[in-house]
Order: sequence, then C-alpha cells, then structure tokens
Amino acid sequence: MAAVTYSKASRVYAKGAVPAVDTLDLGIKDGEFMVLVGPSGSGKTTALRMLAGLEPVDAGRVEIGGADVSGTPPKDRDIAMVFQNYALYPGKTVAENMGFALKMQRVPKPERDRRVREAARLLDLDESMLDRKPKQLSGGQRQRVAMGRAIVREPKVFLMDEPLSNLDAKLRVHTRGQIAELQRRLGITTVYVTHDQVEAMTMGHRVAVLSGGRLQQCGTPRELYDNPVNQFVAGFIGSPAMNLRTAPLADGGALLPGTVIPLPPGLPSGLSEVVVGIRPEHLRLTTKDNPGIPNGSSRLLSGHVILVEELGADALLHVRLDGDSGGDSGGVPGERGGDPVVARAEGRRPPSPGEKVTLSVDPADVLAFHPGTGARIAA
Amino acid sequence: MAVLEQAPPTAPAGPRPRAMSAREKWSRRLPLLPALLYTIIVTQVPFLVMIWYSFQSYYWNEPGGSWFNGVSNYAHVFTDPDFLNAIVRTVTMTVIAVLLTVIIGTALAVLLDRKFPGRGVVRTLIITPFLVMPAAAALIWQGPMLDPNFGLLNYLLAPFGVNHEAWLSNHAYGTVIVVMVWQWMPFMMLIVLAGLQSQPGDVLEAAKVDGASAWSTFRELTVPHLRPYLELGILLGTIYLVTTFDQIRLMTQGGPGTQTTTLPYYLYEKVNYAFDIGGSAAAGVVTVVLTIIVASFALRMFARVFQFEEAR
Repeated sequence: MAAVTYSKASRVYAKGAVPAVDTLDLGIKDGEFMVLVGPSGSGKTTALRMLAGLEPVDAGRVEIGGADVSGTPPKDRDIAMVFQNYALYPGKTVAENMGFALKMQRVPKPERDRRVREAARLLDLDESMLDRKPKQLSGGQRQRVAMGRAIVREPKVFLMDEPLSNLDAKLRVHTRGQIAELQRRLGITTVYVTHDQVEAMTMGHRVAVLSGGRLQQCGTPRELYDNPVNQFVAGFIGSPAMNLRTAPLADGGALLPGTVIPLPPGLPSGLSEVVVGIRPEHLRLTTKDNPGIPNGSSRLLSGHVILVEELGADALLHVRLDGDSGGDSGGVPGERGGDPVVARAEGRRPPSPGEKVTLSVDPADVLAFHPGTGARIAA
Repeated sequence: MAVLEQAPPTAPAGPRPRAMSAREKWSRRLPLLPALLYTIIVTQVPFLVMIWYSFQSYYWNEPGGSWFNGVSNYAHVFTDPDFLNAIVRTVTMTVIAVLLTVIIGTALAVLLDRKFPGRGVVRTLIITPFLVMPAAAALIWQGPMLDPNFGLLNYLLAPFGVNHEAWLSNHAYGTVIVVMVWQWMPFMMLIVLAGLQSQPGDVLEAAKVDGASAWSTFRELTVPHLRPYLELGILLGTIYLVTTFDQIRLMTQGGPGTQTTTLPYYLYEKVNYAFDIGGSAAAGVVTVVLTIIVASFALRMFARVFQFEEAR
C-alpha cells in the first residue's frame, strides 16, 4: 500500500506534438480509490500507463510510496494492472494466469495455490473454473480472472484501465459495485480509468477529470457535480448533461427567453454574454397545483415539449423555449438558441409532446461560465 | 440413456433440407471437372504406366525391349543398399536441415520483431535467399562461393587458416545442408515472424507488469503462442526439403561416392545413368507408397494445426 504522486508529469509521443499528458499534478492518498475520467484522447489511459511504467515519463516525476519510479521498469514497481481486454495469458489455465506473477517472484507452489484459491473465493470464482483456459470462460468470468490476477499479488497499487467496458450493461453495474466493495475491503490504493462518468461518480472516492491531456478538476463526486470549476467539467459530469447555453448579458443578469436570471456580482468587466448552466433537475415543471417553488426569486421559462424520454421513476422533457428559433444547432452545448433544454420531471404523468409547459428555476442553482475561457464565474 | 433408447424411432419433425436435383448437382460439379481431368491425366495416368513398368525388365541401353519379370524389380529394390541408404540419408538431411532452419529462423524473427532503423531493408535482405531459384542458388554456391581456388568462402576464411578447402569434396554432406538451410531459413523466419506479430501487445504488457523477465516471457508465453506456427513451418519445410534435387544435381551429383545421394537423386540416377526403367519404376512405386504413409500423417497434423487456429 502506498500513496501515488504525479508531479508535473508529461508524456509527448512525438517531437513537437501536443503532449498526451501535460504537466499533470495529482496526489493520490494511500488506500484511496481515484478515478481518472475524460473523453477519448484526454490522456487518462496514458497517465495510467505512465504510472505502470508502460509509457515513459518525458518530463516531471511519478512517485509510488514516496519513491521516484519514473525510470523504474514495470516489473520493479510492485503494481498490478487490469487491462481493458483483460490480456489473459491464452495458453495458461485460470489458476496459472492468477499465479503467474507469484511464479515470477519464485513463490513456492503450495503458497501460490493457497493465494490463488483465496483470491478465487474473494471473487466468487468457482474452484472448477481454475483449471479452464481463458477462451472457455464468459466475458464476465474473464473479467474476474483479470481482477484475480491483480489481487493475488497484494501489490502497492492497483491500476485498472476501463475494466468494465467489455461487459454488458447489467453485468457492468453489478461488477462496478463489486470492485468498489473489494477495494474498500482490501484497502489498496487504486487508480481507475474510465470514460464513463457514471462509473467515475459511483466508484471513486475522488475523481480527476482530464481533457486534452490536462487535469481539469479533482475532487469528490459531489464536489464535481455541485461545484464544477469550468464549463467542461460541468458538461461532462452528470447524466443527462447540464443544460449549457450562451446568453447575452442584460442589466445584472443573463437574458434567457422570457426572463432574466440574476448573476453573481463578481462578473468580469467587458463581457457581453455568458454561458449559463442549469442541471435538468433544477428545471422544475410548474402545474396549477404546484406553481414553482414558493420562493419569490424563482424565474419562469415557458416553452413546448418536443420529446419525452420516460425512464420509469422519472422522465426527461426536451423543451423548446418560446422565443427560440426552431433551427437546430446540431446539439452542440453552449450554442446560442435553438437547442431545447432538458428538464427532469416526475415519471408517472409527464406532459406529452407538443404540450405547453412552464419551468421554474431558482437563480441560486444557476451556474455561470466565462464564454471565452470556460472558467466558472462564482460569487 | 435407457429412456432415450426406449423412444420409438420417429422421423424428425419440422422442415427437412430440400433434396438437390441431378441438374443442380452437376451445375456444382461441372466447373471443377477440367481441373480434375487435368490432374488425373498428368499424375494418375503416368502413375499407372509406372506401375506397369515396375513389373517389366526394361533397359534403354539393351536391345530387346521390355518383358514381364514379376516382382524381381521389387525384390531388388528392397535388397539394394543404395536405395536404403538413400532413404536414411534423405531423412537425416531433412531432419537436420529443418531443425536448423527452425532455430535460426526463430532467432532472426525475434530480432526482426523489434523496432530499429532500417528494419525494412534488413528484412528484405534476409528474405532474399528464398526468392532465388534453387538451381541458380546452387550454381552460385558451387562456383563463386565454394570454389577451392577462387571461392569467396575460402577467401574470407583464409585469415583463420583455411587454405584451398574443397568444401563440396571433403564436406559434401554438411555443405549441402548449409545450402538447404540458407535457402529455406527465410521461409521459416517469415512464418515465425507472422506468429510473433500476431501476439497481442497487452498480453506482453501484462507479463511486464506481472514481473516477468524477457526470457521468462518468451519461454512462458511466446513459445506456446508460436507452437502452431512452428508446427506449420516444420511441416511445410519438411515437404520442401525432402524433395531437394536441384542443389544435389548441380553441386555434388550425389557424391562424392553416394555421400549426398538422396531419394530423388537416386531415382534420377537410376533412370538417367543406369537406364534401368523397370528398377527405377519399382523404386518409384515404393517411394510413392512411403510418401503417402508419411503425408497422411502430415495432413492429419495439418488439420490439427488449423483447427487449433480456429479455436483460438
């Protein structure tokens, strides 16, 4: 068990190219479950491979347990890795796969068998499965063998590179919980890479959001959700995504169709517009019985429903606001006008498409971002 | 099981495959027919003629034509020490040559699997011997390379005390093997290289993270992965090397003495120097029978190799 530190670590694939990982500064505490999340090309996998020693560190340092490992070969780092495609050894049985690292450490066979059995029990792998070859296993079983190969080692750090992306949706949700619970029980520092923000939110103690090789924000899932530092994090974290749209500034607030949302006083001068962000659950459907929040400050937005996505417990309403042009901007977040907003409504009796609705929003729930830099404009 | 056996034999219910009409059957067979007829004419008809000759006494250099002499040609084949020696020599030469091509080919493939500047050029140069036709290669080896007085090899080895060595007279057996290996090693290397490059990269990375050294990774993971490729290479290499003729005809004529007389060359000599049509036909029939026995084992192995590939 050990803490992990990235200290101004960079990786450049080719001379003059944009760094795949750009001066990454990230501290991971001993026993912590840290998730690196970002879209493809964000550098999350490269960052993990730098920690594994499979990619060189071109600048800066990577430390495990306080020791600089930037130049250490993978086999001397005392880490275990779960690969996206599991990378099981095809010619070896499940037991041999799991015990391979121990064999390489010259652990005697009885001890090896004991630890393999223990790991198999921990992962609910049947004893009879230990003698099979990987190709005789289902995807979920292979995933567990890959996990088993990592935990048999009792390494300082677990590295996981999208280990759930090859599982079907139901199994993924199940395994997600199992991995988080296993990590809590073993208490081994874990770095987990995923592009799925739901995985990131549900599994990580802390989540580091990367984009374009740069760390955008690192914090607890709650912090990232409630207090994103910039427009990228705001749009990336949360499903359905935050409604983001560029709005012109009018005296002391952002002008949305039919209303003005008051903004925090600390606006930088010289701005003529601002990007406002509203989470779908903060757009509340008003009815005759429930006319918004009994709060004088709430603002109303009216429009008509163009699409209803029923999820069971709740429904997502895609609402085109009155005054917006019907032209679709292609769904690019932050694009001016046109885009419908998404609101989360109670699922039992959602309005039907075409119906006129009024949404209320509390200005305290509205986030504002700089239209040029994307940085959060906070009070 | 008992319950199943008691069940009355009923015709399977549900849709049955539609029977093919004669016309349909012929429409599928017909396009294959020219190739089949051609194969029969050029291989099976001569074979039947050969069987007929193997029961005849027939010498091209003796008057009187041919006459039936029973199985005495066969009796002679099985008691001819030259024939039996040729078989043993063919087997030992092939085994030694194939083993050497496998070892050298694998070593070169492992080196070529790494990235280094100029890899493409090196790979092409290593493959070149495979592209030279065997007869031309044999002539180059026999003359410019191995000539006792003017040969390049003696010139290069002169600083090491080698002086006008007549390789093809004094070390014919080994020299022929060297030329066979030189010609076929690139082929083995290509097959092994294809095997190495089909090994998934993440498995090798997993081994690195698991603490395996380069040698352990090769022994524990790469060799088992290469097994079907090595089997295929050995099989094809054996088929090619066992029929080696050009090099022996052009470099040693089977000599000195019978030191390099392999089975194909023995048959050739029997026809072209001894003019013994009946005897060589009998030896040919025996060779074909032996070949069929070995080939059916080889083909079974072939099938296994490819099944293994599919199951991966």
